Amino acid sequence: MTAYLTFEIRRTLRDAKFLLFAVALPVGLYLLMAGRFIDQGVPASYVMGGVAVFGAIKSALDVGARTAVERGIGWQRQLRLTPLSGGGYLLAKASVAMVVALPPVAGVSLVAALVSGVRLSPGGWALAVLGVWAGTVPFALLGLLIGQFATAQNLQAYQGAVVLVLSFVGGLFIPVSTFPQALATVAKVLPSYWLAQVGHAAALGGDRWRAALVLALYALVLGAAVVVRYRRDTARA
Amino acid sequence: MDIHEGAPALSVAGLRKTYGETRAVDGVDLVVGRGEVVALLGPNGAGKSSTIDMIVGLARPDAGEITVFGVTPREAVRKGMVGVMPQEGALLDDVTVGETVALIASLHSAPLPVEEALRRAGVAGLAGRRAARLSGGQKQRVRFAMALVSGPGLLVLDEPTAALDVTARREFWRSMHAFAATGRTVLFSTHYLDEAEAYADRVVLMHAGRIVADGPVSAVMAEVGALGLEDAFLRLTGDSEAVR
Repeated sequence: MTAYLTFEIRRTLRDAKFLLFAVALPVGLYLLMAGRFIDQGVPASYVMGGVAVFGAIKSALDVGARTAVERGIGWQRQLRLTPLSGGGYLLAKASVAMVVALPPVAGVSLVAALVSGVRLSPGGWALAVLGVWAGTVPFALLGLLIGQFATAQNLQAYQGAVVLVLSFVGGLFIPVSTFPQALATVAKVLPSYWLAQVGHAAALGGDRWRAALVLALYALVLGAAVVVRYRRDTARA
Repeated sequence: MDIHEGAPALSVAGLRKTYGETRAVDGVDLVVGRGEVVALLGPNGAGKSSTIDMIVGLARPDAGEITVFGVTPREAVRKGMVGVMPQEGALLDDVTVGETVALIASLHSAPLPVEEALRRAGVAGLAGRRAARLSGGQKQRVRFAMALVSGPGLLVLDEPTAALDVTARREFWRSMHAFAATGRTVLFSTHYLDEAEAYADRVVLMHAGRIVADGPVSAVMAEVGALGLEDAFLRLTGDSEAVR
């Protein structure tokens, strides 16, 4: 398991284009949005929370979902012919997703502090960066689940749709308080809404524990789904 | 490495597997002694790949017993006692040959040195090359290196040369033969009759999920009273499409 994790992390860190994009996209998005929203009286720290969550979610999902390609070419099958267990493989992949999810959160937070002058207490920063990062676990697992269902061909479509729904309906870019009632109800079902609550609580206060509980439940359910799906796939192959 | 001394390299009894309506494997019994090189021969759909998947623990039998050196397939895989080259390819394009084989080695408890596995498979010169830049024959030999790096007593190859041209096939078999000569047991499936004839000590012929003939090439031919393996094959399977 450690050997495989090391291998995967080395592979990921070598993919400079992927890592750069993972950070540049949310940072660029933040700069674009902060300029407009701050003029309208929205605090920069609020924008920071939503965009940091977007960056973390997208990176975590990307890593997990890309396992569809490896599954397609038979790499997972090859690994089943080694002592590496299915659980070890999934855990390594989820860990890599988490490694890649940290830089976008840190990047957006750093730019918000340097460019927009966002100031938080040490505890506030810990929540904004580490809290949001830790809350990304269910999305790493969701990515793995997509990877177990999608094929290399339809992966982009699946992935795009999921990121879009999680970001917009989850209220990462537009505050849920401005949504129509029905849409606001849907938003509150999504894990991205709850992770945004964590991000916003860092600056503006709010109930972070309820959010943590919802995210933990999501992690449990998605983790179980990934394992069950992986086992089924084994039985079929 | 062998837990059960004296246990055969492979023992299969009463093996059955059904996929939907299809009886892919319909009562297979097979014992392979240590050091044998056995060809599993048969037309497409004869049940070769299904049988192999169960032998290496990738699929679960509906019925029957399989032991590899006296233990279950999964345990044999875990202990590196069986090296497998599955039919479908599995190389990550962004990783070098050396890294790939080193990874597989690192997952096993007592692997061969990576350099030795690369050399035995004939890809020592390609260690620094990424998989995306390999030819079909080179890829296949890298996969061969991945199968033998655990230092397995039993090597299982599922149609190892199906996608290769004549030269690549010949090179592949030369490597395989050299490895088998170190006292390893080899089970390979193929539908190239000449490969079975040239490289196997023993031929197991499958048709419709069953073994229809089993023995040395000469004995299988004598049994049918035919002139060559192709004719024996045709007569036993009654399948004219099988000849290539």
